[in-house]
Amino acid sequence: MKQIFPLLFLTIFHSCAQSVKEGDKYPPQVGDISFDKNIDDPNFKPCDESRVFQYYNFGKGLQYKGEKPAIDQYFKNKARLSERAGESGFLTIRFIVNCEGKTGRFRVMGMDAQYQEKQFEKSVVDALLFLTRQLDGWVVAHDDKNKFDYYQYLTFKLEDGKLIEIMP
Amino acid sequence: MTRVAWILLFFPMYAFGQPNCNVYKMKGDSMCYHGCLAANVDFPQGSRQSQLQFDKAIELCPTLDYAYAEKAVPYLKRGDFVTWRKLIDKAVELNPLGHLGYRGWCRFQFVRDYKGAIEDIERLSSLTRFDIGYGANSDYQLNVARALCYKALGRKQQAIQIIEKQLSQKDYSPMTYDYLHLGVLKLETGDDAGAIVYLKKSIAYNDYLAENYYYLALVYKRQRKMAEFKEQMEKAKAYYLKGYKRFDPYTSPIDKIYLSDIERELSTPQ
Repeated sequence: MKQIFPLLFLTIFHSCAQSVKEGDKYPPQVGDISFDKNIDDPNFKPCDESRVFQYYNFGKGLQYKGEKPAIDQYFKNKARLSERAGESGFLTIRFIVNCEGKTGRFRVMGMDAQYQEKQFEKSVVDALLFLTRQLDGWVVAHDDKNKFDYYQYLTFKLEDGKLIEIMP
Repeated sequence: MTRVAWILLFFPMYAFGQPNCNVYKMKGDSMCYHGCLAANVDFPQGSRQSQLQFDKAIELCPTLDYAYAEKAVPYLKRGDFVTWRKLIDKAVELNPLGHLGYRGWCRFQFVRDYKGAIEDIERLSSLTRFDIGYGANSDYQLNVARALCYKALGRKQQAIQIIEKQLSQKDYSPMTYDYLHLGVLKLETGDDAGAIVYLKKSIAYNDYLAENYYYLALVYKRQRKMAEFKEQMEKAKAYYLKGYKRFDPYTSPIDKIYLSDIERELSTPQ
């Protein structure tokens, strides 16, 4: 395995090391989030921009102190979402957890029940985004020698403004 | 690094079986033969090269459902369900029998779109008289997944009926979690005796799950058999700490329990 890994690693991350050129149809990896000076915190930095993993690459699922119930409970206690007719669907917030367990580069995607893009009301987006930014229990991905950055997402299932379920 | 390497080796999980391109060759369909070969070139899932390769395959053979379905996978895993759906819909349109079950499963597992998952699985059932197959992680026959969707929608008796019917099928071999889910459903619908039967069956079938003991303990708790409750809940904790628990690398499975659930039960004054 030790002999296989360097080759495997290079194969997988060769694409990540490529720069995003204007006009590229796809980013180096589906779902990559580049730094945007207009919206991103300049103080947040991935430890290795060229190889940001996906949360599921580590075979441990979502890694958070207290596991998934800690996230469910946090939003249940803190999300002050009032009932709003029509605010139904799925709101996904995707971001990077860096090798220090800090988060940044948050991106929001809304989707309705027919899987079409949807703009949720600003108050709903702001509330969930604010709380997601405050989450501070992300577990650092690591092996025996190294710590890694990874992409994580949270999808909030909403029905008339009410938080029903959180994925993944 | 070794552990990560192992995981990465298996990272294209939920990918589809590669098609046999010779089918197109034998038909004399040169464009689709070459499109199929293009789709079979292995690049890391979700990479730019991989996505471009599928585009090339689709350009050569616009009816190659495999290329649409495979191109869709990284969007699903990374939370972009809008893009995933556009691509997987195309695959379903081209080959409903081949992709409806998969789409239904993913709507259940990743999106928790229970109604949509039921629609897909029931439509698949209407298209074939054969077994409708299994979920993408191979842990569930699709009727059991459908039952869990009904459970999530609050129709628990219907969920029980579906699982019981599936278990009674002549040639069906129960899957790893069938008895667990049926036991939990019995517990949730007030059938303590039924819950004990199926949770014990689940233990006999697969004694590597803290969940079996956790839910069994809850039955005893309801029956005020507190010694049995404590014994089973402690066992659930021991199993959990040994790593004997439900797990999926992508999502949180239905009826999965967590350490905090067990500790809350153990710490609540009885």
